[in-house]
Amino acid sequence: MTAEQVTQGLRERIGDALLESEPRGDRRVYMTIDPAEVVAAADELFNKMGGRYVITAATDRREKHGSFLVTHFFSFDDDDLYVILHANVPEDDPRIASITPTIPGAGWAEREMQDLLGVEAVGHPDPRRLVLPDDWPTGVFPLRTDFSSQDKPEASMEGAPQMTAIPEGAVVVPIGPYFPTQHEPESFAVFVDGEVVVGSDYRGFYNHRGIEKLGSSDLTYNQIPFIAERICGICGFVHSCAYCMAVEEAAGIEVPRRADYIRTIFLELERLHSHMLWTGVAGHIIGYDTLFMQTWRMREPLMWLAEQLSGNRKTYGMNIVGGVRRDVDKKDFPKIEKVLADIEREWTALQEAVPGDRTLTARLGNVGVITPEEVRELCSLGPVARGSGDTVDIRVDHPYAAYDELEVSKCVEDGCDTLARTFVRLRETPVAISIIRQCLEQMPEGEIRAEITEEIPPGLQGIAAVEAPRGESFHWVLTGEENRPERWRVRAPTYSNLQAVSTMINGDVLADVPIDIGSLDPCYSCTDRMTVIDRRSGQMRVMTREEMRNSRNR
Amino acid sequence: MGVLKTLWSKLKQAILALKPGRVTLGYPFTPREPEEGFRGLPRVDVNRCIGCGGCAEVCPARCIRVVDTDQTTRVLCFLHERCTFCGRCAEVCPVNAIEMTKEFELSTDDPHEDLVGEYHIWMGPCERCGRCFEAPSALDRLKRTGMRCDEIDAKCAIACPAGVEADSEETKS
Repeated sequence: MTAEQVTQGLRERIGDALLESEPRGDRRVYMTIDPAEVVAAADELFNKMGGRYVITAATDRREKHGSFLVTHFFSFDDDDLYVILHANVPEDDPRIASITPTIPGAGWAEREMQDLLGVEAVGHPDPRRLVLPDDWPTGVFPLRTDFSSQDKPEASMEGAPQMTAIPEGAVVVPIGPYFPTQHEPESFAVFVDGEVVVGSDYRGFYNHRGIEKLGSSDLTYNQIPFIAERICGICGFVHSCAYCMAVEEAAGIEVPRRADYIRTIFLELERLHSHMLWTGVAGHIIGYDTLFMQTWRMREPLMWLAEQLSGNRKTYGMNIVGGVRRDVDKKDFPKIEKVLADIEREWTALQEAVPGDRTLTARLGNVGVITPEEVRELCSLGPVARGSGDTVDIRVDHPYAAYDELEVSKCVEDGCDTLARTFVRLRETPVAISIIRQCLEQMPEGEIRAEITEEIPPGLQGIAAVEAPRGESFHWVLTGEENRPERWRVRAPTYSNLQAVSTMINGDVLADVPIDIGSLDPCYSCTDRMTVIDRRSGQMRVMTREEMRNSRNR
Repeated sequence: MGVLKTLWSKLKQAILALKPGRVTLGYPFTPREPEEGFRGLPRVDVNRCIGCGGCAEVCPARCIRVVDTDQTTRVLCFLHERCTFCGRCAEVCPVNAIEMTKEFELSTDDPHEDLVGEYHIWMGPCERCGRCFEAPSALDRLKRTGMRCDEIDAKCAIACPAGVEADSEETKS
């Protein structure tokens, strides 16, 4: 699919409702359509042309344009093309037809749009509140521009979402809000019939920090990378990197090649430590603590290395719009080589030892199954998709930073289960090591940061996708006035992957649910990145007996 | 067969686990200093600082407060409790007055008392309005360091109209 073919196809399907189509290079095409035809357009792109749905973003542009901008993003991974589908929804009737019946993976994004912008997705099969907390008043939309980041609305329980209907004869087992094997707050209500899972419901977003709101109301372009890096506690660098690349694309800033290489080195260092961390945690969840101890021991020198190179073991603070802040010096190369060689040696030993262990194969094989069709429908990403035979890997499909000059092999398994996802991550680790080595060899000399002399004009758009250890991390920036974006949309990979959990755990026994969920390498905080929660609105509250009872019996 | 395979795997794992020996560090009894280039607690050299407020302007965590306590004193207040140790303040400082030290042991039960860095900068007062200012040339240098984008607003951050022409016109009329 090229940009022209996509435009042509859409024009045939929706005719004049395609108001505008503007390709930008070979890799992006920006379109504006009549909101009445959004479902047809989404159907054409997703079902007929075989695109992958990425995310939906809504923007409050009432002040200047008298409308809300609803944007659906699609990707054609085989052709390195992103399609951006804009629709202007009038401010006096903020409603648009829901695309969720066509694309199940859009369910959360549209619920989020309803919660935060108050743009209703008409015909959504499950329009319950998703992102906002239970005690948020109805009719207050925090991402609208007339809502200040400092506003503290009066608490009200009116809009609290109800749990989905429990199947006949099933019992609810809560996993979370705090659960020993999940290291962040999340809440699954798992419906079980005896030992077997027959359904589930998810309530999350407990970690909102209002980052998107801050980005478009309080921070400036060059402050955001440091906040973006804190979206995730493990793979934060992908977010600061994706944000910077989105701004650079929007403003047409040419990043020096050396900076691209340095970014790539850190992205892969991050993937290494993230996969090692996950392997350990997965072992821990199934009670295989040798694996946990050993992978975390192997991982530690990597953290020290990152600290030496960047100044911090995890929040590298390297990215800034236009390049990176710190050079990787020639004299550091031997240090990097040594750490990589050590890890490679031990990881090979681990890869030889572990798969033969029955603990692992018995606990991971044939659980948490997700078929390739379900992966496509739910738009799963990263190792979850690659464990089910999907080949999506942004590093190869949509090369960014220095990946276009590097050899990256995709690791794809077709077991569709938790074991397959484990193998994907085990195999990706040596690939990451090889990428860093290639970077060290090929890194050109030169500047590490582009000089930016002019202000970034408003109204420009840029998107960037980065293959995080968990899948595609996607950022969209619409530049604004006062030196900050008008809208900055972040979609962490777990946002897509979490929606697949209910499919994965259905039919499994309860004891496998923690590792099923764990097999996503879930990152709840990334997913929860948005909305403003005000802990001081109202008084400190303890759950009442009534609510406790309700949370069991609802 | 499966049993043998598992045994073999266990043996390999045992080797993997035994080989490295003991790796736990003696910290905190044996102190371990971070490497060169570590971004720890920022400290300001008051003798170098010109009080331009550039650090406060770029701080992503908004933890630097600039207050003029009297006509000749500007106070830089670092609320380290919120500091994310990104080092942007040190990066944009036009006179290199801020250093990211290696201090990282900052746990305390009283952050409001222990984690506040207050620096009193002596400023030359403006002869016209009597408020403090620093040389415009330093401001110019600062503009170059951060991208515009982080430009210091001459009116609010510096509080002194020294060199700002528009203001003098107003006073004339």
